[in-house]
This record gives sequence, structure tokens and C-alpha cells, in this order.
Amino acid sequence: MSPSRVAADRVVSPARDEDRVSRDFEPGDDYFAAPREPFGALGLSLRIGLLRFDLTGLSVDQQGLLAERFRPFIDTRADAPAADLTIRFTRAGVDAFLAWPREEMEIYRMGRRAVGPRIAIWSYEFAGSADTATRQAELALVDAGGATFERGAENFLRVLTALHILGHGGLLVHGAGVVRGGRAHVFFGPSGSGKTTVTHLSPGDTILSDDLTLLVPEGRGYAAAGIPFGMAHHRTPDASGCFPIVGLHRLVQSPMVRRERLQGARAVAELASCLPFVMQEEKSAGAALANATAVVSSIPVDRLLFRRDPSFWDVALEA
Amino acid sequence: MTLDVVLKKSPDAAYRIYDGEATIVLPSHASVHVLNPIGSFVWESLDGRATLAQILDRVVEEYDIGREAAEADLLQFVGALRAQGMVG
Repeated sequence: MSPSRVAADRVVSPARDEDRVSRDFEPGDDYFAAPREPFGALGLSLRIGLLRFDLTGLSVDQQGLLAERFRPFIDTRADAPAADLTIRFTRAGVDAFLAWPREEMEIYRMGRRAVGPRIAIWSYEFAGSADTATRQAELALVDAGGATFERGAENFLRVLTALHILGHGGLLVHGAGVVRGGRAHVFFGPSGSGKTTVTHLSPGDTILSDDLTLLVPEGRGYAAAGIPFGMAHHRTPDASGCFPIVGLHRLVQSPMVRRERLQGARAVAELASCLPFVMQEEKSAGAALANATAVVSSIPVDRLLFRRDPSFWDVALEA
Repeated sequence: MTLDVVLKKSPDAAYRIYDGEATIVLPSHASVHVLNPIGSFVWESLDGRATLAQILDRVVEEYDIGREAAEADLLQFVGALRAQGMVG
């Protein structure tokens, strides 16, 4: 068994005053093997890019909440393909997994453990396990509703999206997806690089995401799609469809506005550096690198030096 | 380090060669590395069977580099890879 890790991610989590748990509880295989009660008997299906997730075990309130929250991504197709994962929502039976933050704010912590086709992920408010071989997953949530429920569900689904899109040849990228004239540009980079700024400087364009954008194979190229739980400052993407990508731009804030073409392994490395949740294990990292190499061989990648005005679009559109 | 050493890539390292250059991800360090073409050639040769002396022979044969300079560069490069936990 590979050692589990608790890593700090970049999401800031508010301290929770009530029911504070002072010690981390790392859910082991015995925890996930134990039977747990679902919240209810309802479900819904999500279509995210090429992925389909079936959510089950929902209560009436949870189904209503998630149906509204993920509305553009609800999959009602009668001929929908089999789900990539069926995710059963259950009551965690504990007050928390990781100890709630003691300080006013702390960097969001998340633990994970991967063994063969199974992965377990946990944080303060949830613990989830998923098996790619059986396509079954469980999400144990501390709360049945409210912000804690929503955050737990979204955090687990976000990680699963990043991992499962690899099997479709795609990637989940730390990037803003913006559609202009029916064609998508993905502006990627770490936190603080200007992804949200780019969306604010693009009024009238379709915003797929200001933080996490899916890249999926489409025809001979790739298309960009938003995800309903990947927005930093907007609740929901403007559109749930896929749009052909014409440029990948690594954002670099600068007094100048200029585009520098990235070639070969350097382009792969820049993209690989902005792939959340998939670089912790050799298997998923290898798949991500393979997909990133295929993307780079198909779509031009550049470093886009930009300042806080819309002039970057003139340069980006040259791509 | 001496030329009779045999090293191999870390089993944790994921890598991809594109246009003759390697992009390497080391999950345990959360790091991404890019190697130039000669470094990538050496990286691919670190298979747990070849000695550094044999790899040096291949480098000298493949590239227009003097043996003395190539040896110094190779030992320094492989030492850096080992310090980063990329080979063992």
C-alpha cells in the first residue's frame, strides 16, 4: 500500500466554531468497507464534458439543491452512455475527518490514498472512495445540507473529474476558459496569475470557467468545457457545452503585452504544472503527461505576457 | 560518484519524451522537470543495467562532445538527478 498523504491545497477554508474536532481521523479501508446509511433514495446524473456521474442516495432536499446548483449539467438523455462513476452519498457518522481549522483561516487540507484502481480522498467535511474498475464510488458527508454539504460534494466531484477525464484523453487545467466567436481560449496558470482578471476583462464573451477548465478530445483537436464546481468567483459557467480550442495561453503578468511561443517539452511542462489533483501518483501523473503531450502537439501553446486591460486579446487572437 | 555506478530511474517518476526532450514529474516532490536533448538521452539510458561508463560511451558516440568534458557533465548531471530523488 502506498503511504497516504495529507497535502495543503490552495483553497482557503474558514474555521468552523461548532463541533470542532481536535484530531484528524484518517478513514482507512475498514471505514470504507463498513455499511453506511444513504441520505435518501433519490438521484441525478451529471454530464461534464465527456464524463457522466450518477449521484445516488440523495434526500429530496439534496436532490433539489444539486439539481439547481448544477442545472446546466444535469443529464436527462434517454440514451446516455453508462456512467463513468456511480457515486453513492452517505451519512459519514463522524463530526469531521480532518480536524476543523483552529485558526481563523487556513489552507484547505486534503488527504488521499491510492491503491490499484481505488482511491480514497478526505478532508474536513467528507471522505470519498472511488474504484475505477467497478465504477462505483461513495461519498460520506458530515452534514446533510448547507454549505458544508455543498463544499464536500463539490470538492470530491472536482477531484474525480480531474482523475477520470484522463481516461478520456482529457485534462482538467487550472485555467480560465473564455469563448470568443465560438472558439475557446484557455488562459492557464497558478493562483494569482490572472485567470479571474482575464474573465473580468472579457465582457460579452462566454465564460466557461475562471479557474478550472476541461480539455477534451474532439475530432482532430480539443475542445474546452466548463465544470459546475470549478469556479473561483462565479457560481456557474455561462455554458455547459464544448467549444473548439484555438489557443492555450500561460498567463504572466507584465507591463508589456506579448506572446512567446512555447515548444515541445517546455510547453508540456508548463501545462503539466497546472494540472490539479493528478500529479500525486505515478499512474495518474503518467497519464496526465501523455495527455498533455497530445494536447501540446495539437494546439499552440504560448506564454502570454499581459497587463490589466483588454489589449491581451489582440495578441491572444493571433494564435 | 564513479563511472562504474549503475543507476535507474525512480519508479515514482512519470516522464514523457517530446521532440527529444523529457518532461519528468516526480509526484513525491510535486515537481516538474524538463531535460535538454542530451540530458534526456542520459535519462532514457538510466535503466538499471548500464553503467555510467557505458552511458558515457553512448553520449560521446551520439553527440559531438569531448570525452573529458562529457564525463564531468555526466557525473554532475546524474548527481543532480540523484539529489532530486529522480534516480537511485
